Amino acid sequence: MLRVDAIDVAYGYAHVVHRVSLGVEPGEMVFVVGRNGAGKTTLLKTLAGFLSPVRGVIDFDGRQVQGMTAEALARQGMRFVNQDKKVFADLTVKDNMELAAYACGESLDQAVERLIGMYPKFASFLEKKAGNLSGGQREILLIGRALVGEPRLLLIDEPTEGLAAIVIEDIFRILRGMKHKISSVIVEQNLSVVSRLADRILIMKEGEIAREIADPAEIADVAALESWL
Amino acid sequence: MFDTILYGLTIGAILYLFSTGLSITFGTMHIINFAHGMIYAIGVYLFISLLPLLWGSFPLSLAVAVAAMLPLAYLVERFVIRRLYGDGIDYAIIATYAILLIGTDLIKLVWGSGPKPVSDPIGIPIQILGTTVQTYRVVVFICAVAVFVALRMFFSRHVIGKIVVAALKDRDGVRSLGLDVNKYFSIVFVIGSGLAVMGGVLYAPITVAEPYMGFHVLLLAFAVVIVGGMGNLTGTFFSALGLGQVIALTGRFYPAGADTMVFVVMTLVLLKEPIVDLLRRLVGKHGIGNFS
Repeated sequence: MLRVDAIDVAYGYAHVVHRVSLGVEPGEMVFVVGRNGAGKTTLLKTLAGFLSPVRGVIDFDGRQVQGMTAEALARQGMRFVNQDKKVFADLTVKDNMELAAYACGESLDQAVERLIGMYPKFASFLEKKAGNLSGGQREILLIGRALVGEPRLLLIDEPTEGLAAIVIEDIFRILRGMKHKISSVIVEQNLSVVSRLADRILIMKEGEIAREIADPAEIADVAALESWL
Repeated sequence: MFDTILYGLTIGAILYLFSTGLSITFGTMHIINFAHGMIYAIGVYLFISLLPLLWGSFPLSLAVAVAAMLPLAYLVERFVIRRLYGDGIDYAIIATYAILLIGTDLIKLVWGSGPKPVSDPIGIPIQILGTTVQTYRVVVFICAVAVFVALRMFFSRHVIGKIVVAALKDRDGVRSLGLDVNKYFSIVFVIGSGLAVMGGVLYAPITVAEPYMGFHVLLLAFAVVIVGGMGNLTGTFFSALGLGQVIALTGRFYPAGADTMVFVVMTLVLLKEPIVDLLRRLVGKHGIGNFS
């Protein structure tokens, strides 16, 4: 579904991602882990079309997409959920979903129904300004928004960052519900979540993929994962 | 006194119609658009030319002038403003100011340099609170209020308005849904330009059309947008009405200072934070307590 071949990404003269290659199969949940500054977010933003690689190839569904705009990639079925939990704060929860539904021609009722199915508490928050939601609710709204129109690949940046343990479990439940149904690349620091959900883990260090872990026993071993960081 | 207040409301209404487009362009693209003055001035001259061709019908000529200026506004946005997006505010100022100069020279070339008066299309005075006022001025104010209400509804209820509201704060968030933000910014840019033409045409019977009319209104509109908050459409409305009163009341007692007083108010708004900060420091320094 997604093939990335030796991409380099730079901010001006500062090279942040070096010759990164990876692949994602249909329904696969791939986690990218690493310390701050390892280049994880830059990699995800490049895949999503917000940055262009200086070299290398990104192939999505058999089509070279490097250099395509973020909105064009979103229309092709690749959706990005940002790290800063930034929703459309001046609009209501329902309005947030309306924009997502409008973008992909899905009915608003269907989009809202899916959101409530994912997180029933939203049934009473629909007319609430999205800016008044908690951090966890904002993250769930962002994921709900990204799932409108049934995308084929979800790119999620640090979904549990800065959230309380109880909310992390809500996010975990939602991500587990997506597993095997939709492909995803998720940047995540919470290794407990990673070890319980990942089909494959990519460990990034200094802009490179330092190690790839696909063995379920290795994935489940949080202490071993920690030692790789 | 009431006629002065009504005059202030009329001037405020015109300033609001013109400033809305400027405020939208700054809020969405962070660009100071001098070309807005060109759209406004050419729109008015076009209206003056259309008036005799369209059986002297003011509303019809206004509608056709606004409609005719929309493609030109789109071309300015698509081929000048959008190319300057993200290139720094100075390039935008130079390029759009050049367009304003070209537009002004075009007016002089086509219509001549002399002022062109437009007669009051209603010409009937009415009595309000014991004062005789021109009905036309009341109609201009009502038009501005109607536009304000319509824009509020557009931005809060129509999906395109909601997209623009969302993109004002989170452009990348809108892009990540698959929506081409530029397309929606173009739509509101063109709406803002249409309102500028409408403001110019409505103002023509109160003043006269002249080639540099775009320059004069631009300066006042920048003050409106700064006082109201750049990109804040509700703030722009109340700022325009407030500064309209400043012009009218100053003009009543000291006509030479009418426009100047607008910039005094603008400067006070800009200096509000430093003045409050200075007072806080002074009060703190002398141990009087906290100033708030």
